[in-house]
Amino acid sequence: MTELLQNLIDGLGRGSIYALLALGIAVIFGVMHLLNFAHGELITVSGYVSVWALGAGLSWWLLVPLIIVTSVATSLIIERVAFSRVRGANDFTLLLTSFGVHFVVSAIFLLYVSASVKNFSRPGWVADTYSIGSLNIEVFDTVVIIVTILTLVGTTLLLQRTMFGLALRAAAADFDTARLMGVKSDSVIRGAFALSGLLAGIAGVFWLMRAGSTTPSAGIDPMLKGVLAALIGGLGSLRGAVLGGFALGLAEVLLRSRLPGDLASLTEGVVFALIAVFFIFRPGGILTVATAERV
Amino acid sequence: MFQRPGRDIVAPFLGSTVLFALLLGSGLLYQAAVGGGASERLVTIMLIDAIIVVGIQVYIGNTGVLSFGHIGFGAIAGYAFAVLAISPGEKAKRIADAPFGLVDVDMSPWLALLLAVLITLVAAAIIGVGLARSGAESGAVAATVITLALLFVSHEVARNWPDLTGGDRAGLSFKIGESLDSRIPILLALFGAILIARLYATSRSGRLAVAAREDNLAAQAMGVNPLVQQMVALLISVAIVSVGASLRVYETGSILPDNFFFSYTLLTLVMLIVGGRNSVTGALLGVVMMTVGREATRRLGQDGFELFGIGLDDAPLDWIFRENLQTVFLGVSMLLFMIWRPKGILDDWELDAWAHQRFVAVDAEKPGPLPELGEAPAAQLEARDVSVRFGGFQALTAAHLDASSGEIVGIIGPNGAGKTTLVNVLTGMVAPTEGSFAISGERLTGKPPFQLARAGLVRTFQNLRLFGSLTVRENVEIAALVARDHRAERTLRDVDALVAEAGLWDHRDRRARELDYGTSRRLELARAAALSPSFMLLDEPTSGMSDAESLAMVEQVRHMAATVGAGVVVIDHDLGFITGISDRITVLDQGSVIATGTPEEVQADPRVQAAYLGSAAESTTVNAPANAQQGIDDV
Repeated sequence: MTELLQNLIDGLGRGSIYALLALGIAVIFGVMHLLNFAHGELITVSGYVSVWALGAGLSWWLLVPLIIVTSVATSLIIERVAFSRVRGANDFTLLLTSFGVHFVVSAIFLLYVSASVKNFSRPGWVADTYSIGSLNIEVFDTVVIIVTILTLVGTTLLLQRTMFGLALRAAAADFDTARLMGVKSDSVIRGAFALSGLLAGIAGVFWLMRAGSTTPSAGIDPMLKGVLAALIGGLGSLRGAVLGGFALGLAEVLLRSRLPGDLASLTEGVVFALIAVFFIFRPGGILTVATAERV
Repeated sequence: MFQRPGRDIVAPFLGSTVLFALLLGSGLLYQAAVGGGASERLVTIMLIDAIIVVGIQVYIGNTGVLSFGHIGFGAIAGYAFAVLAISPGEKAKRIADAPFGLVDVDMSPWLALLLAVLITLVAAAIIGVGLARSGAESGAVAATVITLALLFVSHEVARNWPDLTGGDRAGLSFKIGESLDSRIPILLALFGAILIARLYATSRSGRLAVAAREDNLAAQAMGVNPLVQQMVALLISVAIVSVGASLRVYETGSILPDNFFFSYTLLTLVMLIVGGRNSVTGALLGVVMMTVGREATRRLGQDGFELFGIGLDDAPLDWIFRENLQTVFLGVSMLLFMIWRPKGILDDWELDAWAHQRFVAVDAEKPGPLPELGEAPAAQLEARDVSVRFGGFQALTAAHLDASSGEIVGIIGPNGAGKTTLVNVLTGMVAPTEGSFAISGERLTGKPPFQLARAGLVRTFQNLRLFGSLTVRENVEIAALVARDHRAERTLRDVDALVAEAGLWDHRDRRARELDYGTSRRLELARAAALSPSFMLLDEPTSGMSDAESLAMVEQVRHMAATVGAGVVVIDHDLGFITGISDRITVLDQGSVIATGTPEEVQADPRVQAAYLGSAAESTTVNAPANAQQGIDDV
C-alpha cells in the first residue's frame, strides 16, 4: 500500500512534466493539425542557454524566467521560419517538416558547440526529500506538482475566459469556420505557438533541473514523451493530453519499480511496447475525439 | 496479378535494368574519377543505402503512410543477422551470456540473412496489425507515431540488452576477414529490390494500395480493402529493408544501436523525399543526390575550401565550413523540400511507365461503342425499416426502398431529408440504428463498405472522390481489377471501352484532379460501371451542372447502367432531373418516406405537394429553405 502510494506520488511528479509537454503539442495540433516532432527542441535550446547562463554565473532564480522567455521566443521563431510556410499542407508534409526542424536545430548545436554532453550545476534542493509517515517525498516532485496544477488552472482560465482562448478553441474545433467567423488565423496560430512555448518552458525548467546536462539531441526524449502522451490521451483533446501525460508518468514509475531486475533497464522499451498494444485496442486514445468525414 | 504484361511486367523489368545500370554506372564513374579505397567504400555504402531506400519507398510511396519505423525493422534484421552469422569464437568474447544458446550457433551468412528476414517479417506483421487498427491511411498521424515508437523500442532494447546485442558501446563485430569482401551480393540484392519495387507498384496489390493512398474511402467504395494491401506493401517493404540492413552490417563488419536510429532514419527519409517518394526512379535519384551532397558537405566541413584548391583558409565562410556540416545539409534539405517541393523532384514520374507511354502505347485505337445488355441478371434490392439516429437527431425513420436490376429508382427530398444518409447506410458508411437491407435475399446489413461494393452496391459521391493523381484510365482500371476477382460471374466490360463510352477517351491519360467538373462526374460514373455492380447508387450526379449537362447526364446514366446490367438508385433534389430519369420515385421528407410510385403518381400525390413542394408546387427545382441540417445530411 505504502509502496503504491509512493509510486503514485513519483508518477504524478514525472507525469506533470509530460502533461505540460503534451498539452503544448495538443494546442498546436488543434490549430494546425501539426504533430510537432520539434517540440523537444525548445528544451534543447533552453538547455544550451542554461549552460551559458550558469557558466556566466547567473543564479537559477534568474535562469528560470530566462528559460521560459527562451522557450517562447524559440517557439515563435520556429513557427515564423518553418511552420508558417507549410500551413494547410497535408499531414505527411507537416510531419516531415517538424522532423526536419528537429534535425536542423540539433545540427546547429552539433556544428557550433559539440556532440559531447555539456553539464551544468543543478539547484541544491533538487535531491532533497522529506518524509510523511513512511513516505519519502522529493521536494522537487512537490514543487513540480504544485506548479503544474497552477499552470493547468491558469491555462484553463486562459482558454475559457479570454477572447484568445475562445478563438483558439473555435479554431481547434473547426479552423475554416472559425476563420469565417472572424478569427484571425495568423494571431491564433502565433498565440498557440507562444502558449505551447510557455508550457514547454515551464516543463523545460524542471526537465533541465533534473537532467543537469544537455546534448544536441537532448530534445528527442521530451518530444517523444510529449507526443506519446498527447496520443495516449487522444489527439486533438487538450484534456486528453494532460490525462495522457499523467498516465504515461504513472506507467513508467509503476513498471520501473515492479519489473524484475533483468527487465528494469528495459522499462522504456516495455512502456513503448505497451503503448503500441494500447493503440491496437483503443486507437483513438483515452478521450477519443469524434471526427466524422463528410461523404 | 498483372493486368497488361507489356506495361506491367516487361516495361518494369527493362526499366529496372536501366535504373540499376545508371546507379551502378554513376558509382563506378565516381570511383574511377576519384580513385582510392575511400571512394570505393562510399559507392558500396551508396548501393546499400539504395536497397534500403527502395525498400522504404515500397511502403511509404504506395500507401502514403509516413513511417519512421523502417530503420527500426532494419535494427531488428541487423542484430538478428549479426547474432546468427558471427562465428561462435567471436561471439564468446562479446556476448558469452547470450540467451537461447545463441553463442554456439554457427551458420553460413546466407542462411543467417534468410532467418533475419523471416524474424523481421514476424515483427512487421505484428506492427502491421497495430497500424491497421490505428486507422492507417495516407498521412495518418497515429500510424506514424506507432512506427516512431517501434524505432525507439528497437533502439532501447539494443542498448539495454547487452547479453544479446553487446550493448551501447561495444556492439557486435565480425572477425576481420569474416565480413563481406565482394560487391556481388549487394548488386544482386539491389537489382532484386528495384525490380520487386517496380513489379509491386504495377501489380494488382500495388495499384489498389495506391488507390487507397489517393482516397481511402473511395477505394473502399470500389471494393478495395486498404488494410490488406497496406499489409502486403509493408511485408514486401520490410523484407527488402531487412536484406539491405543485414548487408549493411555484413559490409561494415559491426553493429551498434546508433547505426540504426535517428540519423540513419533522417538520411534514408531525405533520400526518399528529395527525389520523389511516390516513384522508385525518384528514390534512386534521391540516393545519388544526397550521397553526393552529403559527401561534399562532409569534406567542406573538414577541409574547407581547400578541397577545390582555392585555398581560402581564413575565408569569411569559416563559420559555416565546420565539422558535421553534412548533418545541417540533410536537415535543411528536408526542410527546403517540404516547404517548396514536398513531392520531390520527380513526384510520381517513373522511367518505365513514361517510356511505355511514350513509345509503345501511343497508337491505341478507340474502341467501338458498347452494346446494352438485353437480359441483365435479375437482382432485387430491398431495404426495410431503416432508421438512423445521430445523437439526438433522427436522420431516417423506418425508411424503405425497393429496386430491381434494369430499373431506375429516384429518391427525392429537400436538404436534410435523409437521402445521402440512406445511400450511406446502403454502402456501409453509416450503420443503421435499426432495420436491414438485402440483395436478392442475401442480408447485407452491417458489412463494411468494401464488402458491400463487392456484393454489388456501388456508389458515387456528392462531392466527387476520384483518385486524384491517377489517370482517367487508371481510375477505371482500379474498379475493373476488383471486378475481375469479385464480380466475375457478371458481364465485365473492357476498361478502354468504358472510358470511351463515358466520353473520356480524349482525356484517358490525364490525371483525374486536372479534369473539369462535368468530366469528373462522368469519370465517377464510368468507374462505378467498371465494377459491374448490381446497383449503382448515384448521389446527386448533376449537382453543379448546367441544365444542358444535366440532360446529357440522364442519357449517360441510363446507358452506362444498361451496358453492365445494373439497376440505378439516384438521389437528387432536382425534380426535373429525377422525373426525367426515373421509372419509380421515392419521396423522403424529414427522414421518412412519404410517397412512392411512378413520376406521375408522385407528382399528383397531395401529401407530396403539401408536405414537400409546399406553395412552390409549380416550380421544378426544390430547395429547402434552410440548410440547418445539411451537415448531418452530408455525413
